[in-house]
Amino acid sequence: MTSKLRHKNYMVSKVLLATLALICWPQAAHALQTHPAPEGLYAHMLAHLFFIATLGIFTYWLQTTGLVSERGWRLIQISCFMFILWNVDTFTVHWLEHTMTKEMFITTGLDWSKKLAMTGGWRSWIYYLGKFDHLLCVPAILFLLLGLRHLYEQAGTERLAQND
Amino acid sequence: MNKRVQNGLHKMISTLPLFPVWLVDMLGSALMIIISFVCVRYAQLLRRTDKDNVIWTYLLWLCLALALFSVSRSVGHIAKRLLLLSGQADIWVKLRPFSGSVNSLMFVIVGSITLFFQRVNRINLQILNDKKAIEKASEELMWLNRNLEDMVRQRTDQLSKSEEKYRRIFEGSMDIILVLDSQGRFLDINQAGLSILGYASKDELASSTTFADLLDSHQDPRNLLKETATAGFRKDLECNVRNRDGGSRTWLFSLTARRKTDGKLTGFEGIAKDITHRKKMEEQLLQADRLASLGELSAGVAHEVNNPLGMILGYTQLLLRSEPEGTQDFQDLKIIEKHARNCKAIVEDLLNFARSSETQKGVLNVNDLLREVVSVVEHQFKLDNVTIKTHLGTSVPMLCADGEKLKQVFMNLLMNAKQAIEEGGQIQIITEHDSSRDQVTVTVADTGSGIPPEVLEKIFDPFFTTKPTGQGTGLGLSVSYGIIKDHLGDIHVQSTPGEGSTFIVTFSVSVDDQDEAC
Repeated sequence: MTSKLRHKNYMVSKVLLATLALICWPQAAHALQTHPAPEGLYAHMLAHLFFIATLGIFTYWLQTTGLVSERGWRLIQISCFMFILWNVDTFTVHWLEHTMTKEMFITTGLDWSKKLAMTGGWRSWIYYLGKFDHLLCVPAILFLLLGLRHLYEQAGTERLAQND
Repeated sequence: MNKRVQNGLHKMISTLPLFPVWLVDMLGSALMIIISFVCVRYAQLLRRTDKDNVIWTYLLWLCLALALFSVSRSVGHIAKRLLLLSGQADIWVKLRPFSGSVNSLMFVIVGSITLFFQRVNRINLQILNDKKAIEKASEELMWLNRNLEDMVRQRTDQLSKSEEKYRRIFEGSMDIILVLDSQGRFLDINQAGLSILGYASKDELASSTTFADLLDSHQDPRNLLKETATAGFRKDLECNVRNRDGGSRTWLFSLTARRKTDGKLTGFEGIAKDITHRKKMEEQLLQADRLASLGELSAGVAHEVNNPLGMILGYTQLLLRSEPEGTQDFQDLKIIEKHARNCKAIVEDLLNFARSSETQKGVLNVNDLLREVVSVVEHQFKLDNVTIKTHLGTSVPMLCADGEKLKQVFMNLLMNAKQAIEEGGQIQIITEHDSSRDQVTVTVADTGSGIPPEVLEKIFDPFFTTKPTGQGTGLGLSVSYGIIKDHLGDIHVQSTPGEGSTFIVTFSVSVDDQDEAC
């Protein structure tokens, strides 16, 4: 038996002994990391940021490819701008929501009569106005609809022209 | 907004109702769902316009993702509002994490789809370019399909016209145009070539002979083709070509080697002019020129010799008168007189050849003249087994000529013909009148041994003879030539060794104005 082979057998036996010791005398490993509540909000906010970035890139590509010279694609580009604004708005509201206290939401009994105490100064104002985010996202998707409709009409016209 | 205004506002508005927020939220959410699905519908319609357009497919996927996002988000918002209003906040607390997570996931999905736009657009552009190229190719194919027949017809017409044009030049050329393969075999030849060579058709020529076989044996036909192939062409070659009957024709010939683009020899193209007639004329002119020079020389010598010869003959005759017959001196003087007379006869012949002797022209019938000559020699010829056949034309007109001298010419021709016939044969005498040229032709043809080609050009030279020494002076034909020329006529000979010779004498019928005798 060569010296190299002897050394290899020695190492294998050592690893086996260590494994056996771990199985027979276990301790707390702390290998699994827990995820408390704020992580969900952060993940959501990061998703907003990712959405902003992708929409920005999309808008840039629409510009560089020259597609925006067509009205349909221009409307889709406006839709992207509006969605970016909406994302900025919601991101801000999510961030401010984190800083709002329970006392700022005054409840008189019924949920629909809930009020916001404007004790947070400009933050309260931005929060309150930012809560109307649908005023941004609805027009955004409306622009998308208009863009698609225009592209559809244009495609129909081109098809007719080809058939002629 | 400064502090004072802020404080003022704060005093005025210490609280704000959240109901408008919720209302907008509810309505907005509902609108988001509705509009997003309308978007999906339009994207579907758009895709149906062109299913191969990947951009439209991409937009459909984007709209579907947005619709899912809208649903997840809006349903969450509406559910939250309804649950909170109905006092079931605990349910919302349980649903909230799911709603938020799905919402976040939808953001990521929609965002991820938008990132594919550039790649999709690139693919679409590539497809559009390929489509355009295919459409263009297809249009070209369609066009070709529609017009190919016309194009082929048009090109065929052009080709036919061109072929016809060059065929017309080829076939109509008076010169010989021929096409040979690399071995010298005939591939094509025009009509002029065929008629000169005496073949009825191209196939007959191609199957029976090659170009090399047509050339005379003393030329090297193989070498000619080889040299042409090496140099590319041979120009203005003079060569003798045998026609179908074995007759020789002289061609002025240019030959070009034809090669493929890779340099391989495929054949030869030649153009030739038949110069046989011109060549003969040149030879005749040359001979006439030579004989004219000889005539001048002979005339000069004859004149110079004639006077002293007359003196010798005169004094010899004077001495003979005073010398009694039978003496040695008388016999010596007789020998002198005989040889002086011989010399005088030769001198007269020379003068006749040089056309310096006087002629006594009168109107005569050449047929009568020939009958007279024939009657003189016929008997003697018969004894030597030589027959004379005459074909004397009845319409032969009268000629203005010196009868005695013409008799001398015909006698000469008959004697020569007889001498050429060694062991019996025939002599034919033909007289004809060619009204178109206004000429009388006398042909004397024999079946004798013929004249070799190398001798043929010298037969009219004075003192040229093939007879042994002492049997002929070599002046017979040259004197005849001189007499005929003196009558503004012509004489030429055709001869084939072993078959016989034919002498053709032509006289002009029209009377010369200066000829007072006629």
